[in-house]
Amino acid sequence: MADGILLERAGVPAVSICTDSFLAPARAMAKVYGFPGFEFVTVPHPLASLDGAQIQARARDVLPGVLRILGPES
Amino acid sequence: MAAAIGDEPPLADAPLADAAAIRRAMEYYAGRDWTDGLPVVPVTESYLAEFLAQTGRDPDEVVLSMPHLNRQCTVRLAAINAGLAGCRPEYFPVVLAAWDSLRAEGYAGRAIWQSTTGTAPFLLVNGPVRGRIGMNAAGNVFGSGFRANATIGRAIRLTAINAFGLRPHQLDQATQGTPAKYTACIAENEEESPWPPLHADHGLDPSDSAVTAMIIRSCIHIEARHTTVPEQLALDLAGTISRTGALIHETISALVVLGPEHARVLAGAGWSKADLSRFIYDHAVRSRAELAAVGKDAIARQTRWRLPADHPDAIPDQAEMDGNPHRVRVLNSPGAVLVAVAGANNAGVSAVIETFGPRGGPPAVVRVEDERGTT
Repeated sequence: MADGILLERAGVPAVSICTDSFLAPARAMAKVYGFPGFEFVTVPHPLASLDGAQIQARARDVLPGVLRILGPES
Repeated sequence: MAAAIGDEPPLADAPLADAAAIRRAMEYYAGRDWTDGLPVVPVTESYLAEFLAQTGRDPDEVVLSMPHLNRQCTVRLAAINAGLAGCRPEYFPVVLAAWDSLRAEGYAGRAIWQSTTGTAPFLLVNGPVRGRIGMNAAGNVFGSGFRANATIGRAIRLTAINAFGLRPHQLDQATQGTPAKYTACIAENEEESPWPPLHADHGLDPSDSAVTAMIIRSCIHIEARHTTVPEQLALDLAGTISRTGALIHETISALVVLGPEHARVLAGAGWSKADLSRFIYDHAVRSRAELAAVGKDAIARQTRWRLPADHPDAIPDQAEMDGNPHRVRVLNSPGAVLVAVAGANNAGVSAVIETFGPRGGPPAVVRVEDERGTT
């Protein structure tokens, strides 16, 4: 979360991604960094124990949320 | 011996105070979440001044920074939380030495108390200060019952909660944590140890007082009541240290806390503490097959955390590279095992404290300031 906020502040578009188990600490960290409304995306927990195909599925699922926050021009 | 409640007419000599006012003060602190869940002691400006009078340091001096949170603990914040924790003012130099040691140890400033790992601060106290403030080094040394041990350890954890905001379910993401998070502070039983105390092993004079802080995960007891054979005892310790469940990183580290009886078994056979560390280093080993059976037979390319050899990020571990691939050491050096003596001299019981990180370097032994605030 901190990395995403610091990158944004440095002018680098960034989207933080965490699993849904970390929603509360992620919001707390954004508040600590003075950016309580910082938008990020979550994926279902767990992540560390997934295989390659499952990881790719998570990435496909999360992509629309990432693009929405980045707001790329079509 | 202290009387038990019920032995005497109750509250015969208790101070007269308005119990409702006391409860209101307790609820005020609890309502602000300035607590670990247990009641805290109210701290007024005048009470705070008694703590600050125990040190020559500026109240605004920083004792630990967490740059990633843009938060710092000053001498004043450390004193407020020592008061909240129930410390007497004369304990405060030990609390300050604990913060100095945690700063030197390193992990506390690098977000370890936000980790899912769920570690706790652990303090080992040496030297004459133990007697001056009534620290327990003997029976029930990891247990409850001694104010200095209980409140000095609690002072660190309350500061983490109150000064750094590391509250569970918020910035503290510990999956399970450990009971040691309430408090974990022991004194070495120097009087019943056959060896020099830990701080003297690391350059201080035995007449100095010192705190050595570590970041810990688990405290595991070793039952070996009938052995008088040093190798049997040392193998029991090595077998406990090398349990596969502890292996998140490539290697682990530990503080072995020997009961005095076990220390004498070893010393009586001519073993030094360094001999024990070396023996454990050589025997804290897992076979490649044992590691494969639990999916920890390789390490990750970036983090060097253990994972299965068929994982896409897997690379060989150090043992694989060293030419003896089937015998995997779980310690990186003899120095990754520290040895201290604590507990009662009444049974063949010892403990392994699993410390966080590979370690192997010198421990963070810090001298306690004397009453004049000099070191």
